[in-house]
Amino acid sequence: MARAELRFYLNGEPVHVAGDEAFLTLSEYLRQRRGMTGTKIVCSEGDCGACSVILGRPAGGTIRYESINSCIHFLHQLDATHVVTVEGLSRNGALHPVQQAMVACHGSQCGFCTPGFVTTMASLFEQDEGRRTQRLTEEELRDALSGNLCRCTGYVQIVEAACSIDPASAPRMGELYPDKAMAAQLAEWSRDEVRVEGRDVEGNELLAYLPRTWEAAAAFKAESPETLVVAGATDLGVQRNKGRIAPRRILGLANIDGDDEVRIEDGVLTIGARATWTAVERAIRTILPDYHRILLRFGGPQIRSAGTVGGNLVNASPIADSLPFHFVTETELELVGTGGTRRVPIADFYLGYRKTALRPDELLRRIVARLPRGNEVLRLYKVSKRKNLDISTFTAAILVRLDGARIAEARVALGGVGPVVLRLPRTEAFLHGREIDEETMREAGRLARGEITPITDVRGRAEYRARLAENIFVKFYHDVAAEHAHAAV
Amino acid sequence: MPVVGKPLPHESAIGHATGQAPYIEDLPPRADELWVDFVGSPCARGVLERIDADAARALPGVVAVLTAADIPGHNHWGGVVVDEPFLAASELAYVGQPVVAIAAVDRETALRARRAIKLHVREEQPVLTIEEAIAAGEFLGAEQRIARGDFAAAWKSAPHRLETTVTIGGQEQFCLESQSALAIPEEDGTIIVHSSTQNPTEIQAVVAEGLGVGMHRVVCICRRMGGGFGGKETQAAIPAFLVALVASRTGRAARMVYTKDDDMKVTGKRHQYRADIRAAFDEEGTIQGVEIRFHSNGGAFVDLSFAVMERTLFHADNGYFIPNFDVVGRVCRTNLPPNTAFRGFGGPQGVAAIEHTIQEIARVLGRDAADIRRRNCYGIGERDITPYGQRFVHNTLPEIYERLLASSDYAERRRRVAAFNAESRTHLRGLAITPVKFGIAFTATFLNQGNALVNVYTDGTVQVSTGATEMGQGVNTKIRQIVADEFGLPIEAVRMMTTSTEKNINTSPTAASAGTDLNGLAARDACEKILREMRTFAAGIFTGGETGLGTDPALIRFRDGRVFDERRPGNFLLFDQFAKRCRLNRVNIGARGFYATPNLHFDRATGRGNPFNYFTCGAAVAEVLIDRLTGELVVDRVDLLMDIGRMINPGVDRGQVIGGFIQGLGWVTTEELVYSPKGHLLSYSPTTYKIPGVDDVPRDFRVAFLDNARNTHNIYASKAVGEPPLLLGLCAWAAVKDALATVAGAARAVPLNLPATGEEILRCLTALEAHVTALPGVLAPAK
Repeated sequence: MARAELRFYLNGEPVHVAGDEAFLTLSEYLRQRRGMTGTKIVCSEGDCGACSVILGRPAGGTIRYESINSCIHFLHQLDATHVVTVEGLSRNGALHPVQQAMVACHGSQCGFCTPGFVTTMASLFEQDEGRRTQRLTEEELRDALSGNLCRCTGYVQIVEAACSIDPASAPRMGELYPDKAMAAQLAEWSRDEVRVEGRDVEGNELLAYLPRTWEAAAAFKAESPETLVVAGATDLGVQRNKGRIAPRRILGLANIDGDDEVRIEDGVLTIGARATWTAVERAIRTILPDYHRILLRFGGPQIRSAGTVGGNLVNASPIADSLPFHFVTETELELVGTGGTRRVPIADFYLGYRKTALRPDELLRRIVARLPRGNEVLRLYKVSKRKNLDISTFTAAILVRLDGARIAEARVALGGVGPVVLRLPRTEAFLHGREIDEETMREAGRLARGEITPITDVRGRAEYRARLAENIFVKFYHDVAAEHAHAAV
Repeated sequence: MPVVGKPLPHESAIGHATGQAPYIEDLPPRADELWVDFVGSPCARGVLERIDADAARALPGVVAVLTAADIPGHNHWGGVVVDEPFLAASELAYVGQPVVAIAAVDRETALRARRAIKLHVREEQPVLTIEEAIAAGEFLGAEQRIARGDFAAAWKSAPHRLETTVTIGGQEQFCLESQSALAIPEEDGTIIVHSSTQNPTEIQAVVAEGLGVGMHRVVCICRRMGGGFGGKETQAAIPAFLVALVASRTGRAARMVYTKDDDMKVTGKRHQYRADIRAAFDEEGTIQGVEIRFHSNGGAFVDLSFAVMERTLFHADNGYFIPNFDVVGRVCRTNLPPNTAFRGFGGPQGVAAIEHTIQEIARVLGRDAADIRRRNCYGIGERDITPYGQRFVHNTLPEIYERLLASSDYAERRRRVAAFNAESRTHLRGLAITPVKFGIAFTATFLNQGNALVNVYTDGTVQVSTGATEMGQGVNTKIRQIVADEFGLPIEAVRMMTTSTEKNINTSPTAASAGTDLNGLAARDACEKILREMRTFAAGIFTGGETGLGTDPALIRFRDGRVFDERRPGNFLLFDQFAKRCRLNRVNIGARGFYATPNLHFDRATGRGNPFNYFTCGAAVAEVLIDRLTGELVVDRVDLLMDIGRMINPGVDRGQVIGGFIQGLGWVTTEELVYSPKGHLLSYSPTTYKIPGVDDVPRDFRVAFLDNARNTHNIYASKAVGEPPLLLGLCAWAAVKDALATVAGAARAVPLNLPATGEEILRCLTALEAHVTALPGVLAPAK
């Protein structure tokens, strides 16, 4: 019998939710239903971090806490979690050390972004292994706070506040909210199948189903083409908040067992579709530094902690930052349906603008990529108006297998230059067998320009994208040459 | 212990950090409260033919659907020219212009109603750009001009002449808190309006006008704003009026909070400008004359565009003595939302134009632009008269240049930048210093006034209310410090109260960086009135009779929570005991204070006068790195030196300087407003409109202050700080121009417009390198 209500903790208190509330975003629930107005709303699209809260998920007998955007996180995604809001950080009237530091260091001016910074900063003292002993550094804060916008301070005093905190004074969430019993309770709840129903303001039926198995998920999805599959909802939440979509029939993947981990074995990278970008980022940091570098620019930590690899790939945006990498590594996607599983090469998965080869009953379960080998050089590029937390204007992946100075094989994938991410067969063929030098790469750039059909939009003109496509080959040459020169020294 | 000069925390800091400091959307709802939304024009220009709202009216929970016809008073408002409708009646002037107001029991229902309303319009060809407006002869108001000398003669005889045009982009204020208002109806037709506004008095006035009631029936309250930056100087009016209209029509409380998307789409921004420039100069780079023709994109209505343009003209000299000077400005009428105030208020565009000119002069002469800047800098005791006839006294710019060029190691870094550019095939470096000289005062002289209410209670605590509104800039924190020191009280004994038109009457907007100057001095005036009464009374307690001391109220001191005669400090009363005695003896210990900045005048007919109280000055050096292949820009290092006099609160003021600078950096680099050909803003949310993030702060960022106690024009020798540092963001743009000049050489102009986005930089590089094959440009065709 499926459980008919959501269960989670809010600032240490258990909460049971059923009916229409299950379909609200967390920020709506907090502000409008609970009167907890410390969490602020600015953009409703996960791009400013003002609504950041700390989300705890059960992880091996304990609870792992990360900052997420509550404005694009639905309550039906919160089953078996612990949500800590800014109201939950100061206990018995005593300010959290992060709050004290923000006060003392002039970290707030207008104050509207401050609760989001405070919660994100408080989450930085969470570590998997014991207590954090090092102070936060400016360098790590440049990433860790990249999901929070402030218009007043220019960030300097916020960073100073964060760096001033003595880590010994900062309580971990497990100290604010003893986690042993709570973790056990969350683990127990997460083993439930959940089915919550409600009605929206127009009287439409709402349904959120959280199955335990892929098979059950596929069967549910097959029942109706209206089904929206929800993992991180980092795009769905935006589309819903902007009124472009009214989610009514939800298939949530939160309580499915497994497929949220990242494995690297024998030169093969296997990513469960439910793995968050934060999990990927942790796993590939050293083995795929270029991919890691791109991931850090992928979105703020709040987005990376909610958004999943599967969601990113199935969402099928032509500017999805992960795609060029997967195209040149000839990734295969493992799809699961009511009739079993099948594997599809990624190049065959995308049929057109936001169209994929997924059948009505199918879900993406695993992503299998072959890692570059020793004689292969991989470079990934992302160009956007702002360096961090910005959707790309242009993305590229160039992978060449070198035989001495000769290119034995080249694979090139460009994003943002067409309705889908494109491989460039003519350019690849041209490069095949040639010596890698600047002139060759310049010529490749000219060819590449002829293989793409970029458009003008808010992120850049067609001519700009074409120029980037042309220049990126020369840039690749210089990057590789510089690295080789560096290696030679 | 005095607290002025101490970096005390922001008075609301704990509320900010805990989330307990309420903004309008956070105020607990009244049981009968309605949520208000609006339907805006679907086109940039057209005629409204019919409103189809029947379906919306029929929705359960929809309480009111209101149009222009439902407005009981005047349906037009405007601080300068009353030309803007609250709700468009027939002529549609910009996309999203409010046409229908909806009131419903909750926000979902209001949104449903919004979607159910259809506007039938006859669309017309809009005018969107400055060029289109010039071609169509669409202007707001007349040309403004400031001139001196004889530019034509200087141009004729000059050894070097330069003609150049630059376009300067607009900027969204991007207050984190969008426009919001809450109206509560009270007895006798009175409406209380909580508004996120920099200008409560104007809200009170326009609401009264629109409702057709006296100003005495409207109270406007503003506790705090989640950012203002000028965006809430006038444009808080429409949401404030709409909630007041709903409250007055329905008798129920009504609240409205724009979504960020709506806020960005329908409210005005920093004006986009075009500057057509001619400059005459000699071999050494001494400027003999400058002529600039400014056009701004005013949008559909006047709003503050005339005053913004006036400030542009006042700042087109920036820190340079220009003997022959002729600048004119004209505001273009277009079908965009009316552009409005934004930190700097036209000053940044004026300064951008002259700094662009300086970079071009340097390029033509093959000199370092820093030399051109110093050579033309205003003098001390000579060459110190501005084009509008005001003498620039206490000029600290020469000292700022000298110190900053030395502390930033400018000369050595210039050599390193040149060596880098000679070497690198993939990247370019640029280096530039730009100054700011920002005039402090409203150029509309009458606005230079402030009032304050100070209440001392019998337990020795004090409440202060002023006309200043708190938007994060710390004005209340500074005034609190001033008042605490006046009474010799600890800071905790003084509390800053909500700004309200019931207490603070006929106020000026909190703007022009003058919030603390005007309202701090008004608060001090109130304190002085109270202290005068208190001293006379205290002199009767501590002197005469058996004390053996002659009575002299001037010798009474208020210090460290005590009241005493300075000749016998051991004989004292604690302030609370003393306050109680005051009441028992019928001594008035509450007062209203007033301040009007003296010696300000400006004659618009002659373009001459003394419009400013003083100038806030500074300079910044930026070094940038450009990827020649992608156009990507990194601002590596910034050294900034400001003269803001003696700081009342160094923590607050440092925050203003850094925050203002980073906002300016955003304006000149990543913040780009993109419109569709039909006048829809496409970059209407943070997904597509990119304000600086934490990683955009220069990795090496050195902020310093000049110790200057000579600003006797202002309270505690402090200086206004809000706007000036924003203009220093231009140093990064100038550094990009410097880098591109390496590629352009003396013969070709650098066609860089503002902002210097990666796309714009790559466009310039592509254009320049197509013509320059001799340089190590990797984009150049191979020989």
